[in-house]
Amino acid sequence: MSKHFITLKVNGKEYNIYVNSDDRLIDVLRDKLGLKSVKEGCGTGDCGLCTVLVNGVPVLSCLTLAVQARNKEILTLEGLGSEEKLHPIQEAFREAHAVQCGFCTPAMILIAKALLDRNQNPSYDEIREAISGTLCRCTGYYGVVEAIKLASERMKNEG
Amino acid sequence: MFDVYVPSSFDDALKFLSREGHKTTIISHGTDLLPRIRAGELRPEVLLDLSGFDDLLRYIREDGECIRIGALTTVTDIYESPALNGPLEAFKHAAKKFGGPQIRNMATIGGNVGAASSSEDFIPILLALNAKAKLTSVNGDRILSIERLILDKGVIARRSNEIITEIFFKKPPENAWTAFDKIGRRNAMFIALVNMAVYLHVENGRIKDVRIALNRVKRKIPERAYETEKFLKGKIFTNEVLEGAKEVLERELKLTSDFRASAEYRVEVQKALLKRLLTYCYNKIRRVKVE
Repeated sequence: MSKHFITLKVNGKEYNIYVNSDDRLIDVLRDKLGLKSVKEGCGTGDCGLCTVLVNGVPVLSCLTLAVQARNKEILTLEGLGSEEKLHPIQEAFREAHAVQCGFCTPAMILIAKALLDRNQNPSYDEIREAISGTLCRCTGYYGVVEAIKLASERMKNEG
Repeated sequence: MFDVYVPSSFDDALKFLSREGHKTTIISHGTDLLPRIRAGELRPEVLLDLSGFDDLLRYIREDGECIRIGALTTVTDIYESPALNGPLEAFKHAAKKFGGPQIRNMATIGGNVGAASSSEDFIPILLALNAKAKLTSVNGDRILSIERLILDKGVIARRSNEIITEIFFKKPPENAWTAFDKIGRRNAMFIALVNMAVYLHVENGRIKDVRIALNRVKRKIPERAYETEKFLKGKIFTNEVLEGAKEVLERELKLTSDFRASAEYRVEVQKALLKRLLTYCYNKIRRVKVE
């Protein structure tokens, strides 16, 4: 099997690494780069938990080959906020009780980021539509939707 | 498991296929292919990665009487395109119900046509529009209608040295409209039990042209319902005619049951969809005329 020497741009850093042809992006992010916020649920494109942003767009890292992500800008949850200062979306998730077990949270926050980058003032319907491909088995989505709404209002006011 | 060939240019991709096409599977963003490989259904030796050709193959262009859609155009692109609105609304109907948002950001129209599975929602629309595919190889371009391209479930008439590069079709004339719907067991991320696309052209209340495509007519792939079309053509658009068309459709369909739904259920839904979609197009055409 052939190896590929590629550049991955993840959370603003460039990594020049070897990947195997059949390495999935999720495996490289988690196992080679140690970005454990990226979660694997189903591995077949049904649950949305492995979502990362590629060039600002939510895609499934379990259905993306690592070699296909070459030279693209990848954002995982580790690239948002810091332990000292959370991103406003993270703050909103905490305050609106949008996190229970936390397994879907990285995907939900990245989807919120992509949505709010394009649309500063999404309606409830637009928020629900944006998260419709991502499963949460404990919060019932209510808190997630409220958190994204709250984040949109705060980020709008902060300009 | 498999090798991936990353071509250095599009020419390089075509040359690679002319040499290695017989053992190569083409991948765009893998939403259909990778789960099937992981499930053990497919064991490709080599994947040819087209995902780097966005600048070349990702576009929706109006070109005189034609609309041209590059093979790497995503479902999200289709949903957001102003060119695929109005009379071509069927595209939006299908895009809105296609997988989840992340899948829509990845799945492409070329992949949809290339995979040719029974649930590929854009194929009925392309059949209803008499769309054609452009297949490119080192020898140049070959044009094939979607109807002749799709041979069977998962089997297409692409030669092993060819890449599907473009889908194109004529813009609908005035007083024509398209619509699509699918029925499944839930509202998000479902595979259609029944899907249908219609193209309707009405002049002075009379059906000038109509094309109906659905995912099960004789076989388990999207096909045209020619008998039903023939029944409708030239008739005045009335409720009685629609009821008659439902009966013709029922006779035309080869009923099949599978693990997803029974034949009896499918045919009732297909008849209901036929009437609903034709009525929708008819109302749109009349409203457009009034405006």
